[in-house]
Amino acid sequence: MSADTRFERVVLPHLNAAYTLARYLTRDASEAEDATQEAILRAVRYFGTLRSEADARAWLLAIVRRECHGRRQPQVATVSYDEVPELQLVDPNAHTDTEAGRAILQHRVREAVAALPDVLRETVILRELQQCTYEEIATITEVPLGTVMSRLSRARTRLAGMLGGLAPSGEEEYG
Amino acid sequence: MSAQPPHSIGDAIRESLPAYEAPAALREWARAQAEGASRERAGAWHGRAMRRLAYAAGLVLAVTAGWVGQREYAASAGRASAQRMLVAALVDTHVRSLMVDHLVDVPSSDHHTVKPWFAGKVPFSPHVPELQDQGFTLVGGRVEFIAGHTAAALVYKRGLHTINLFIWPSSEQSAGPPITSYQAYSLAHWTDRDLSYWAVSDAAAPELETFERAYAAASR
Repeated sequence: MSADTRFERVVLPHLNAAYTLARYLTRDASEAEDATQEAILRAVRYFGTLRSEADARAWLLAIVRRECHGRRQPQVATVSYDEVPELQLVDPNAHTDTEAGRAILQHRVREAVAALPDVLRETVILRELQQCTYEEIATITEVPLGTVMSRLSRARTRLAGMLGGLAPSGEEEYG
Repeated sequence: MSAQPPHSIGDAIRESLPAYEAPAALREWARAQAEGASRERAGAWHGRAMRRLAYAAGLVLAVTAGWVGQREYAASAGRASAQRMLVAALVDTHVRSLMVDHLVDVPSSDHHTVKPWFAGKVPFSPHVPELQDQGFTLVGGRVEFIAGHTAAALVYKRGLHTINLFIWPSSEQSAGPPITSYQAYSLAHWTDRDLSYWAVSDAAAPELETFERAYAAASR
């Protein structure tokens, strides 16, 4: 019997993206591996529900996200972003022309992103790191497009506040 | 304020946050899952096509192919969930060993005492290295019965953390990447010369990895 490996061709190219998202959502390497494994099992089982191959990445990321949320302590999901303590800046005057300055900045950005509440972190990771479209993010995180926009805007403002000096948003304007 | 980088939050994130690569073991395992599943689907498709041409013959084929694919898929999924059940049993045993004050039957930090103690109690002779120099103190050993295996349990301490190392004879194929954490406990799994090893501890995962390396190096 000829075994076409459509799943391998369509879904597995997004394995790194899946694992990366799991890493940022669980903030733990072995939890991320577990979650990705469970997500793949689920994806294999429900592969038939994938309507269009072009949607494979968003589809897989949605499964990974649900798997990661299933692992969380219940209270984590309900923490409001106002309750998250502000970050202490390592060095607000870090100069990024030097290697050390760059390393400090990277460290600060990582800490700032890690300190974001879950809903803002997943939105910003999907957008900035995974380069998902707003529509994809809305599908993956199961919220309306408007919510994606406002979360992104909030995340960027918050990050800008924590990091100082950086422009809060890129090209877009939000109402 | 000194010069600030001229770029946006988005740039900063892309420059600062690593995109991770899935571990090789996970990728291999995922590929195996994909192949198992596609055989199943191919079977179903052939079944439909055949039914149109020759209903009776097609039906037999579809059923057979579907059954084979289903069985294969169930077997691989079953192996993964079997590992979960095993891990749950291992963590339970680890926790129980700490709760009921029954950590060791042979309390000794001397491998010349611990190793011979296992003779006749388990059907193999476990390596019992002293890993004091690597920061792991041998506390002793006991025998456990876990998920159908008669296992030697070696107990090491790392500071306040207790490590239970369970050993039993097995040449089983592992079901994908071993689970490395369960209910906040860390696990490490490896096989060596037909013995299956599972280390369980509340120590952090990297410490267990260090333990695994130290044990493996000392057993060579």
